[in-house]
Amino acid sequence: MWRYILRRLMWVIVVLLVITLITFVIFFVMPSVDPAVAFAGRQPTPEIVAEVKRQFGLDHPVWEQYLLFVRHLFLGDRYGWPGLGFSFASRSAIKPELFSRFLITAQLAVGAALVWLSIGIPIGVASAVRRRSLLDRAAMAFALFFVSMPVFLLGLLALWLLWFKWHLTPGTGYISVGTNFGSWLGHMILPWFVLAMLFAAFYARMTRGNLIETMAQDYIRTARVKGLPEWKVILKHGLRASLTPVVTMFGMDLGSLFGTAVVTESVFNLQGMGQWAIISVFAGDIPTVLAVVSVTAVAIALCNLIVDVLYAYLDPRVRYS
Amino acid sequence: MMGNNRRKLSMVGLALVVTLLAAACSSNKNSGTTNQGGAGTAQKGGVYRTALSDFGFTGGFDPTGEYLGLAWDMFSTMARTLVSYKFVAGADGNKLNPDLATDLPTPTDNGLTYTFKLKPNLKFSPPVNRAITSKDIEYAFERINAKPLVAQYGFYYYGVIKGMDGNATAPAPISGIETPNDSTIVFHLTKPTGDFLYRLALPATAPVPQEVGKCATKAGDYGRYIISSGPYMFQGLDKLTVSSCAAIKPVAGFDPTKKMYLVRNPNWDAASDSLRHAYVDGIKIDVDSNVDDIFNKVQSGALDGSLGDQPPKTILRQYLTDQNKKKYLHVDSGDRTWYVFLNTTTPPFDDLHVRKAANYVMDKAAIAQAWGGSTSGQVATHIMPPTVLSDQLGADFDPYGSPDHTGDVAKAMAEMKQSKYDTNKDGKCDAPACRGLVMVNRNVAPWTDTEPVVVTSLAKIGIQVKPRELARGAAYQTTQTIKNQIPVGLNAGWGKDYPDAFSFAGSIFSSADLVATGNPNYAMIGTTPAQVKDFGIKVPPGWVAPTVDSDIDNCQKIPATDPTRVTCWAALDKKLMNEIVPWVPYLWANVTTLTAPSVTHYEFDQFSAEPSLVNIAVNNKEKLGS
Repeated sequence: MWRYILRRLMWVIVVLLVITLITFVIFFVMPSVDPAVAFAGRQPTPEIVAEVKRQFGLDHPVWEQYLLFVRHLFLGDRYGWPGLGFSFASRSAIKPELFSRFLITAQLAVGAALVWLSIGIPIGVASAVRRRSLLDRAAMAFALFFVSMPVFLLGLLALWLLWFKWHLTPGTGYISVGTNFGSWLGHMILPWFVLAMLFAAFYARMTRGNLIETMAQDYIRTARVKGLPEWKVILKHGLRASLTPVVTMFGMDLGSLFGTAVVTESVFNLQGMGQWAIISVFAGDIPTVLAVVSVTAVAIALCNLIVDVLYAYLDPRVRYS
Repeated sequence: MMGNNRRKLSMVGLALVVTLLAAACSSNKNSGTTNQGGAGTAQKGGVYRTALSDFGFTGGFDPTGEYLGLAWDMFSTMARTLVSYKFVAGADGNKLNPDLATDLPTPTDNGLTYTFKLKPNLKFSPPVNRAITSKDIEYAFERINAKPLVAQYGFYYYGVIKGMDGNATAPAPISGIETPNDSTIVFHLTKPTGDFLYRLALPATAPVPQEVGKCATKAGDYGRYIISSGPYMFQGLDKLTVSSCAAIKPVAGFDPTKKMYLVRNPNWDAASDSLRHAYVDGIKIDVDSNVDDIFNKVQSGALDGSLGDQPPKTILRQYLTDQNKKKYLHVDSGDRTWYVFLNTTTPPFDDLHVRKAANYVMDKAAIAQAWGGSTSGQVATHIMPPTVLSDQLGADFDPYGSPDHTGDVAKAMAEMKQSKYDTNKDGKCDAPACRGLVMVNRNVAPWTDTEPVVVTSLAKIGIQVKPRELARGAAYQTTQTIKNQIPVGLNAGWGKDYPDAFSFAGSIFSSADLVATGNPNYAMIGTTPAQVKDFGIKVPPGWVAPTVDSDIDNCQKIPATDPTRVTCWAALDKKLMNEIVPWVPYLWANVTTLTAPSVTHYEFDQFSAEPSLVNIAVNNKEKLGS
């Protein structure tokens, strides 16, 4: 098992290098805007542009810039490890800002994950167990609705109704846990639910489908014949086996949220990594874009690794040796 | 059974829809703060709460380099200069007044020497806590002169103040600036520069304490812990440790990606500052990427006003049509002109008659409508906004006027007939050079809405353009690269740097402005034969660039305090429109701000063309801890 984990970690590094290389080519080799000019003011004279290029490290050949980036990433730079450089826009080190935004995105992602698991899986189970009932139909209608509803529209509608019209929730923005737990919770509930609904719908459908298939297996009949209570048959024998694809999806979904919850973060003004990445793309703040892409790539790869390791516990047939 | 279930489901669905509809149709009541309406006199106290989608700083908010109007609005709270403005709207807001200086000096030595005396009781904010001296102002200029600190508008001082050329490797004494004592500063110029006083009102010239400034060795560093000379300072600045450079850290109250919180500077002497009322106890500016959310919060009272972002059309319509809301809509002149530029080096726009015809034919009324109607601005009839010319030249000067500004095709065709590109004299441009002209534009509204109007208007006189829509930055870079020789562009606008017409004419119509990249003189006015060679561009045989260099130089010699200076610029504007015709100006843009009822006194800062943070008052009971 440990050798498997180590091998996978090596692949994380390879994935990271490939993704950063692609991102580098997109933003440094094919930019529509010279980043030095973008940060040289509204009358960018050649002298100013040259000085900005020098300070931003853009006066080196592109291949040298990339190698320096990789070296700093793995060995650190003047701001510490990992070496993510400084933001062109804020002229400050990226690392502390990325860390604070990572925490916000993590709170959003983990909270939403808990919500969608708490909603999606029970709905899927109930729907599978009571097939063709009113509950099943309502559950699938719920799933269809939220699968079809774009997150930005759901978010804007939720804000407009629940905050603007009915004053049931606080407005947008982020309050840290340390400042006020109640305010933090109040500000996060709506983004959690908005982000979770799409995934809850998917997970409900997937759980339902898998569970229906699993409950038709012979060993389920055997479990019933042995006299086990129905809830044990469903949860311990049926659900556990049907969760394997759900776990796969969960790993990828949770990992990808670390860089792609940008819509939710923008709508609710949660200053996480996704929102920062978008602002940085438009501003031409390339080091920030690279940093967010790198962290997201690592997050996705690590989440997938964790998921694969969990397989071994969920499904005894799986062995990594 | 099945039928019963279906009926139940239908009832549930219907109830849900009815509930949603009822909620949607109910009126919204304000929440949050105790609002007493927008009327009433200004009162001290409270916190002005606002938000914007992005600060957009290009120089890290370092006063030495930051070249963004919105940033200059924020600098008014913390960076006093020798001379400054009243931070009010209109012509009064564009007049210079003494700020740190005791008065506006008249230059001596044939306009080459300016001497200032500083007011007493001027002090830096914590943690520096000492008197502001002339040496601190001189140090600001040393920073402007230092290349690593990238003074983005340093060109206003290089070659103007003796000893300043922008090539110093680090801040160092400047031969043209004398500080004989702590309260006197003398500037020696290389040539008479009539608008020099206006250049001294720019934030880069605000005093910087050297004991802190020396730690900011590259562009943008100082922006995170500016030591204030104004009525406000960053929240947390008093906790900044300045015992050594290593100890200096960005303060908590300012994060360029998230917020700027300002609290009162305890060392600001109100008696020395007649320009800033500083009614509020604090200013909270938050970044909110959801622009709709910003304006919803203004409507609900969770924010006191907008800043920097234009309201969405749906919300603007509410404020325009609802009499109760109209008083909270503020429309002010932005001192900015939006225009279509015509590159005089490229056919057919090398021909003056074609440029005039383009001005005659343009349907400016339709363009103004595409921009959002009268709130977005006034149809521009000449280059410089009337407020920049102290209203000496208004909209009544309209050399290419037409009924309701819809364009005059007959006059345009009559003009075109005089052009060499109308070979059959039918009033339409029919030479091959009239077709397939690349027109650069931005890829967002209102520019995309304006594009069909411009395309159609030019087509009436036979000019066929091919629009190329690009993101803002890419559009500017493409058109500012001289070698590209973009013939016509819709992407550009120009706003004043300071309320003297030199910041229009001198910045964009002189041969000195022409640079290979980053060129703002899109029409290529004043291009010399040597420059044609240097830039590697092709020009029509026998082409001679129209020029106004001598006109600019003549106006520049007149001191800012002499009223004939504005008359000179107004005459230049007339010449530009009648004889040079570099643009089709179409809109003098407004700035639209929405406020909440909690704002008891709204003021607009004409200098920065943003809400005046130093003269706005609210009646909320918010507090902002230091």
